[in-house]
Amino acid sequence: MTALSSTPEQMVAEPKLVGRPDVNRQRLARMGWAFTAPALLVIAAVTIFPIVYSVVMSFNNVTVTGNGFSLDGFTFSNYNLLIHASLWRDALYFTLYYTLITVVVELVIGTCIALVLERLAAGRGWMMALLLIPWSMITVINAELWAYIYNGTYGVADYILNALGLGSPVILGTPTPAIIGLMIADIWKTTPFVAIIVLAGLVMLPGDVYEAAEMDGASGWYTFWHVTLPLLRPTIALAVMFRVLQAFGLFDLPYVMTGGGPGTATQSLAILAYNALFKNLSFGPGAAVATSTALLVLLGCLATLRVFRAQVGQEGS
Amino acid sequence: MRNRKRTGWHRYVNGVSISTLVTALFIIVPLYWLIATSFKNPNSIGSSPPSLGPTPFSGGNYSNAFVGYDFGIYFRNSVIVTICATALVLALGTLAGYALGRLPMRGKFTTMVILLMISVFPAVAVLAPLYLLMRNLGWLNSYQALILPYTAFNLPFAIWILRNYFLGIPKEMEETGRIDGASPLRTIWSIVLPQALPGLFTAGIFCFTACWTEFLMALTFNSSNNFRTIPVGIAEFGGNFQVPYGTIFAASVVAVVPIGILVFIFRKFVISGLTSGAVKG
Repeated sequence: MTALSSTPEQMVAEPKLVGRPDVNRQRLARMGWAFTAPALLVIAAVTIFPIVYSVVMSFNNVTVTGNGFSLDGFTFSNYNLLIHASLWRDALYFTLYYTLITVVVELVIGTCIALVLERLAAGRGWMMALLLIPWSMITVINAELWAYIYNGTYGVADYILNALGLGSPVILGTPTPAIIGLMIADIWKTTPFVAIIVLAGLVMLPGDVYEAAEMDGASGWYTFWHVTLPLLRPTIALAVMFRVLQAFGLFDLPYVMTGGGPGTATQSLAILAYNALFKNLSFGPGAAVATSTALLVLLGCLATLRVFRAQVGQEGS
Repeated sequence: MRNRKRTGWHRYVNGVSISTLVTALFIIVPLYWLIATSFKNPNSIGSSPPSLGPTPFSGGNYSNAFVGYDFGIYFRNSVIVTICATALVLALGTLAGYALGRLPMRGKFTTMVILLMISVFPAVAVLAPLYLLMRNLGWLNSYQALILPYTAFNLPFAIWILRNYFLGIPKEMEETGRIDGASPLRTIWSIVLPQALPGLFTAGIFCFTACWTEFLMALTFNSSNNFRTIPVGIAEFGGNFQVPYGTIFAASVVAVVPIGILVFIFRKFVISGLTSGAVKG
């Protein structure tokens, strides 16, 4: 009896709740922005405001005064200096080809590791746990470890090269070996990360595609090249994009391992900016380096805006 | 072909197992070298050729890191900064992620795209103005000088991860709460949050790892000995002539163990975070 009598009441109550959708919606939207505001304010204070200020600084004559800095008028001279300085061009060039080579090598080795692990029957969990160690390693420690391995007098790399009859090059003291040494340290740390992403992509591929390929008598290599790789492309593209954009901030590894040297052979854009800002206290040119780096990243973002939007839209719809 | 049956010794020695072994060695050998060197006698580290194992076994480097150098202080600083930043990221990220995933706001899409872009922006682009800001606030060499930027740089990824989890929770559950007359915050706390726990783990472990390993901002803002974090402390060990590798590696082992344990415990969530789109290397 009671259950029956309560039914009409509910039918009255329900429309009331959704009866004023516009007001309700507005209220919820206001609440949404109230929830989002603290996070957005913190992010804006630390990223957006400083980026704008960086741009302003880069267009000014910045003079260091006793208790701070003063901006003395608009100028292009910082950028002029930049364009005509071989230091900046060298740093840009180094950052670009370092990124290109490491990302390609990491991608190839990482994909190989993922393909192997996918076929691994037992112990895949342990291998995954092992792969996460380099990922979570502090880059400074990675740099110190490899610097020790490459050390000219008691490093193990020197000893091995000697034993193989390859002589004993001063690894971190000669430009090309130093760059290769840096790349090896980078590859050791980041390849596992690529392998995990590719492996996750592999596991999610539909199995029936392979059965079809096998029935058609496709070889393993053919299947990989024409079935697996095209299906993996979105996963790989996203990983590569993030790796490349992040590589513009390359700092920790060369700063600790080589200090940008020998000479300026391993000086990345970030190290150049850091040295200009905090070692030479030339804030105008330093800001110009930082701003141009930010601009390059922004251009990279805009060029791949489609990928970003697809990422957001994918889950949103 | 993919599930070919193997017999005899081919079951154990084949391309897959050999490649796996090579991969494992590729990762383990440098790690072994790090740990073995940390236990060598401080005086035998510079010997040539280098000895393969820590003989004689010595804990001298470890006591040196804590007594001869101030590694204890650096460790404490890292713990304080990392835990505060992670807690802030999770609190602010949950609110924002919930709103962006659940509430009918205009401009959600644009906000997410901008957040995603900020998450790949290099820290060096904001270094100089932030340094000036910290200086004017009198914050150089303080915990908040790192907690604030770490929170800001890790929030976009946390919001991203949490929003995706909130999107996946059935709407009905929340509406039940709202009809029962629970306030929005109460609804989040007792109905939505328990469902999004995996997302919180993922966002938390990523933020923790990023703060624990960050170097550039820590080097710039907190250079005094009392406020150095582990990466800065390890980078600045030693004088100009002799790099004390034994001490450096002993400190490194102590620094890597906590994060290694956390990552091992939460490995499921780390992997889900790595593979959920916005990836951080």
